[in-house]
Amino acid sequence: MKIYAYGVIDSNEKIDETMRGLNDAPLFNISYRDIGIVVSDLNAQIQKEDKKFVLKHEEVVEKLMDKFTVLPMRYLTLFSGKEQVLLMTKDYYDDFIENLDRLREKIEFGVKTIWPGDLIRERITTAHRKSDNLPLVASSSGKSFMNEKFENYKIDKEFEEEADRCIAIVDGFFSKFTSEKRLEKLKTDNLLLSASYLVDKEKKDDFKKAFEELRGSGGDLKYLLSGPWPPYNFIVLTKPNAKKFGSLDMVDSVFQRKDRT
Amino acid sequence: MDNPIKTLQDKKSYLDLRKQERVTLLEILDRALEKGVVISGDIVISVADVGLVYLGLKVLLSSVETMERLRGAPFSGAAEEPT
Repeated sequence: MKIYAYGVIDSNEKIDETMRGLNDAPLFNISYRDIGIVVSDLNAQIQKEDKKFVLKHEEVVEKLMDKFTVLPMRYLTLFSGKEQVLLMTKDYYDDFIENLDRLREKIEFGVKTIWPGDLIRERITTAHRKSDNLPLVASSSGKSFMNEKFENYKIDKEFEEEADRCIAIVDGFFSKFTSEKRLEKLKTDNLLLSASYLVDKEKKDDFKKAFEELRGSGGDLKYLLSGPWPPYNFIVLTKPNAKKFGSLDMVDSVFQRKDRT
Repeated sequence: MDNPIKTLQDKKSYLDLRKQERVTLLEILDRALEKGVVISGDIVISVADVGLVYLGLKVLLSSVETMERLRGAPFSGAAEEPT
């Protein structure tokens, strides 16, 4: 039997015994000093392909979020026993306290921005081809190669500058309501921005309103708002990974292939 | 006999709901599988799994845009609050 961890909370009290975790197992709080790790026993193996386990993990974390400040564990964090959970908590205590204090009364929103990146790149490329119309003289293959490389570099640079300009506009709608943010630019050509914002709970409605204003501002960009989430993207652990705890017997993962279960 | 308008509306509502469910699930995967407290570098998930999540998202966003174009309406985008 293993212990499945859902998150760290700012309470060492017993939690609601009616709350259930994976495989309908009861949740309990393993307390250390003034904080606790919310866990449940896990007897069966988990299939990583099954979305119901991911949804249950998220459901538990969000229920905890309603009552406590919570640092969600990454999905499928397992320990071999209660002693190992306590050892880990003791070792990470200062980090957990710092994060719990910083994230108290805060929630996370996700904003994704989609733009017609392929069309924009095409437009930039066409403009370059016209403006840099090279004389039709024979040139060495080496020179052609260098010219093409330079041309592509200029196109990429302009594309990135255009992206930065649009991101600054989008980000400007939210900056006054957020205390921290994580911006990821151009994960794909069309996914202009994948942003996470940390927002005071009391400013939740202001943030949503700002999103509606952004969406109503017109243009070719499309937007996706999600949240409020537990602050997954804003947990900062200074401690290096816990290899010193030993083998995977202590902190383990149970991704199981279907054919092994 | 079914009212064809009502049927179309039902279909639209169903597609909207399915779209929101998929978006919500992908947003959850984006966080629960990649972010949060990580105790050890040895645990939990391989890089390949994360890659699949982003592949899924890319395909999803592409299909949402296509669907919206076919409907002739702008992509409204706001996902429901996760449950």
